Amino acid sequence: MIASAHASAGGAAASSGLPQFEPSVFESQIFWTLVSFFLLMYLLKKYVLPPIITILDSRASRIADDLQKAEASRKEGERLLMNYQGQLVAARQVAAQTLDEARMEANRYREQALEELNKELAKKKNAALLEIEQAKQKAMEEVRDAAVELSMLAAEKLIAKSINAKDASRMVQEAVTQLGKQSQLH
Amino acid sequence: MESLPASFIGMGLAATGLGGAGIGLGYMFGKAIEAFARQPSAEGQLSKYVWIGAAFVEAIALYGLVLAFIIMGKG
Amino acid sequence: MDFPFIATAHAEAVQEVAHTAPKMDPLHHFQVVNYIDINPLGLDISISNSVLWMWIVVGVVIGLFHLALKNPTLVPGRLQSVAEAAYLFVETMINEIIGHEGKKFFPIIFTLFFFVLFCNWTGLIPGSFTVTSQLIVTGTLALGIFGFCIFLGAMHHGWHFLSFFVPHGLPPALLPLMVPIEIISFLARPVSLSVRLFANMTAGHTVLGVLFFFTATLEWFGAWLPFGFTVVFTGMEIFIGFIQAYIFTILTCVYINDSLHMH
Repeated sequence: MIASAHASAGGAAASSGLPQFEPSVFESQIFWTLVSFFLLMYLLKKYVLPPIITILDSRASRIADDLQKAEASRKEGERLLMNYQGQLVAARQVAAQTLDEARMEANRYREQALEELNKELAKKKNAALLEIEQAKQKAMEEVRDAAVELSMLAAEKLIAKSINAKDASRMVQEAVTQLGKQSQLH
Repeated sequence: MESLPASFIGMGLAATGLGGAGIGLGYMFGKAIEAFARQPSAEGQLSKYVWIGAAFVEAIALYGLVLAFIIMGKG
Repeated sequence: MDFPFIATAHAEAVQEVAHTAPKMDPLHHFQVVNYIDINPLGLDISISNSVLWMWIVVGVVIGLFHLALKNPTLVPGRLQSVAEAAYLFVETMINEIIGHEGKKFFPIIFTLFFFVLFCNWTGLIPGSFTVTSQLIVTGTLALGIFGFCIFLGAMHHGWHFLSFFVPHGLPPALLPLMVPIEIISFLARPVSLSVRLFANMTAGHTVLGVLFFFTATLEWFGAWLPFGFTVVFTGMEIFIGFIQAYIFTILTCVYINDSLHMH
């Protein structure tokens, strides 16, 4: 049982089920629903959507801009860093080179000094050896002379016969050589 | 049969449709919780579909309610 | 012993109680009442409480957006971020479902979402009227969407749109069975779309009405319980109002997508 709208509007709605199934109020609601919907759509389209779109777009472009700027400054920073690193490498190279040079110089000095020292030492050693040799020679000569004189004296005294100095010297030489051999054997 | 008591019986029977929706909701939320427990990181994405699904299932129950109201109007 | 006057007094008292005791009528607030009757050219465009609240919804939506976008700034304030989030929300929904072609439907979807959402929400104000609890309102919207989708499909595909009812990869023997099913499910779309929203709103407000009735009529020691439930249910209804508006729009997107891309 479906009562008319005005009757059910007065009350006793519960008995006739849901008021929503009341066809007498449909017509105006269909009309006004469509009107309200399209009015709302028109108003939103005209006054609400454009500002939102504008602001979202401007923000997007701003963000893109900022990103671009950030990217540019990042690149600049990278470039500076590369520059600096290059300079650092160059400086390191220079320092290493200088160090190497200094080391080489020092080595050279050392070697030179060592060489000089060695030369000096060798010279001194040679001189000393020469001196020793000379002294030895001299000493040997002296010993030989003394031995010659001694033996000549002894021989004179012993055989009372003078031998010429040449023969005597030869005999002494033989004696000395023999002596030397004997001493070497010892 | 008298029409009024019959309509009351009919309304009650229409309301039993809620049971099916209850089973559906329980099943769905149970499965959803199971899924969240397995994959907690997916909760954000899945919960959206859970709520949409819940609204669909709930609407099925309310069709029964609407039927009950229609019967009430006819009774 | 006979005291007829007592009996009559009792009967009168019972009648008195029956008259004064509040009658539970949770469906009362769905009643459409015509304030001004307007019938030009046989067309009934009377102003009722439903119509009034439609206008209020339109005003509230426009007013809130106007307030949010009064002086838009690049770094948004609170209301402005809400408005932007709403815009992006609808945009994401359209992009996800319809794709790039959906951009031209943006105003329709946006309007639909906010109309339904605020119809649901303003109905929660005590003493107000829930426009979406009227089957004819949701039905008008749903049928409008349905017609719009058919129109779109016909515009895009011409007669080829009828192949929408023929599922792909089906053995021809099953066609006589499946095609009617497809047609019926297609025709059921506006019905389910409208009834879902209407039933959700009606049921929610009926429950709230019953709870408010108990809150108002029970003694104080009994009233706090239904009162607590009204608080919980109002929160729940706010959530449901959002979800239902979301589903209404998302299904609209799906239907438009079906018309454009045919499954």
